[in-house]
Amino acid sequence: DLQFVIGLFFSVVSLILLFNVMLGSNSKLNVYTGSGFLIFGLAMMLIRGKK
Amino acid sequence: MSLHFADYLIILVYFIFVIGVGFLIKKKIKSSNDFLTSSRSIPLWITSLAFISANLGAQEVIGMVASGAKYGIMTVHFYWVGAIFAMVFLGVFMMPFYYGSRARSVPEYLSLRFDEKTRGLNAISFAVMTVFSSGISLYALAKLMETILHWDFDISIWVSAGIVMVYTFLGGLTSAVYNEVLQFFLIVLGLSPLVIIALQDAGGWDNIRALLKPEMTHAWKYMGNANDNPMGLQFMSLIFGLGFVMSFGYWCTDFLVVQRAMIARNMGDAQRTPIIAAIPKMMMPLIVVLPGIIAITLMQPALLSKGYHIPTTANGELDYTMTLPSLIAHYYPTGILGVGITALIASFMSGMAGNVTAFNSVFTFDIYQSYFVKNKSDRHYLFVGKAVTVVGILISIATAYIARGFNNINDFLQLVFGFVNGPLFATFLLGMFWKRTTGHGAFWGLVAGTAAAAVTHGLTIAEGKGGWIAEWYPIKSGMGQAFIVAGVSWVFNFFTTIVVSLFTKPKPDSELKGLVYSLTEKPKYHEQKWYLRVVPLGLVLLAITILLNIIFF
Repeated sequence: DLQFVIGLFFSVVSLILLFNVMLGSNSKLNVYTGSGFLIFGLAMMLIRGKK
Repeated sequence: MSLHFADYLIILVYFIFVIGVGFLIKKKIKSSNDFLTSSRSIPLWITSLAFISANLGAQEVIGMVASGAKYGIMTVHFYWVGAIFAMVFLGVFMMPFYYGSRARSVPEYLSLRFDEKTRGLNAISFAVMTVFSSGISLYALAKLMETILHWDFDISIWVSAGIVMVYTFLGGLTSAVYNEVLQFFLIVLGLSPLVIIALQDAGGWDNIRALLKPEMTHAWKYMGNANDNPMGLQFMSLIFGLGFVMSFGYWCTDFLVVQRAMIARNMGDAQRTPIIAAIPKMMMPLIVVLPGIIAITLMQPALLSKGYHIPTTANGELDYTMTLPSLIAHYYPTGILGVGITALIASFMSGMAGNVTAFNSVFTFDIYQSYFVKNKSDRHYLFVGKAVTVVGILISIATAYIARGFNNINDFLQLVFGFVNGPLFATFLLGMFWKRTTGHGAFWGLVAGTAAAAVTHGLTIAEGKGGWIAEWYPIKSGMGQAFIVAGVSWVFNFFTTIVVSLFTKPKPDSELKGLVYSLTEKPKYHEQKWYLRVVPLGLVLLAITILLNIIFF
């Protein structure tokens, strides 16, 4: 399901951005973007249209 | 600019996902139609986003940001004049013929409507153009990565071409289309934070208008005279050259984008595809034009403290093509820098994969099956389609290396593509709406239009280009020259087609059903909701487009 794959991609990328900040290597921008990507990714994975 | 572990990890995740999509689609590929036309099974939301993403290649993303920095808000004409109207026209009037005729490609429609020589001319010129365009896109990617990240040119070429080859070879058109949707989201979401923080840095739109010259922030106000605006264009040449000839010639006849609508599940979805795609297309200037305008604003004396500057060339002139990469380097820290670079790579790869999949469909159906090996098994054509994918990628790689050796080859190829594309829409317009148009008329019209384009270019000169026959007519800008060349070629094609058609025998009406407007049953719309019907939806989009032009007049 392409919608699920896209959601999964953005969730993985968001985790990289957020872990990058948590591990101390860095940036509000990473936090905001990472959070935004995580919300978008989870929404794409979980929200389904009517069949 | 240098990347760190997190940036490389994001690029690696992207590569894994696009190849993964190829592997997931692979098991669905059973026939040549699955591989080359997705067996007309793709849902509407995917065809619509792929339609827009196939056009969102690197030339679009990097080129439009550069144009925004150089010409200001007039760049939106490529969207609000040069795209939306043609996309709505394609959906309402032309998709019923493309989709209803069951043609697998645009050249195949020409063979059904006209004859084999018209199809052959279009198929061969299109195949050559797409595979060279793919190579130019590849060259631009490797060159950019070499410049901003100091990546090895050869490695950039072979890795990016290899990844595109793997996923298009495994999953064919479906794989390319699915990845185009992923690339669309990546480009839009990857560049959105840049627009927000850079706009904030520039003090918002009101401050931009206060700091820039008025002709940089008004789309139409200074178009009465070509000398008054940065594009060097007069509004009539913009409306006819870009808004009609070039725009309709590209959006309504270029198989690369039309193919995305032709693989929809049914006629209604095929018609809605370009119209729904027009919604993000209308908003795209926010992502690809506004950053360019912001960049030039940040270089005004009042904002020099922000520390941003568009890079310069060896001659000391502003290198506008580096505007977007330099904005990314200036604003993005490690982590999201990887997202920005991945978005750039995605734009190159979507452009390249779009070209390769259009090339393999046209080559397999319209050249190989039509002229060389007819009536073989479907398995044979599936094998040929896959083999042509590999060959197309290899020719692209060769083109990229040739482009590296001869800097001017890009300009030359773009010029020749313009000669071929300029007159095309006249052929389709007459073919679809005048049943008297004949195959001889269409063929000789295209030949005359292309010749007229070359001669017009040879007689006009702009920014030192053209005038290779005689420097009869100086034009202020190269863009103005391109619009005039396209306009003249269209007119020559239009009238030559009519004259030759009147002296040659047309096809009988019985052979033109489903191919010509007057002989085709109009699609019935069963959808109850007005916003799912193509005409009301198209009209709403046109009204919004006109409103946007008025707001930024």
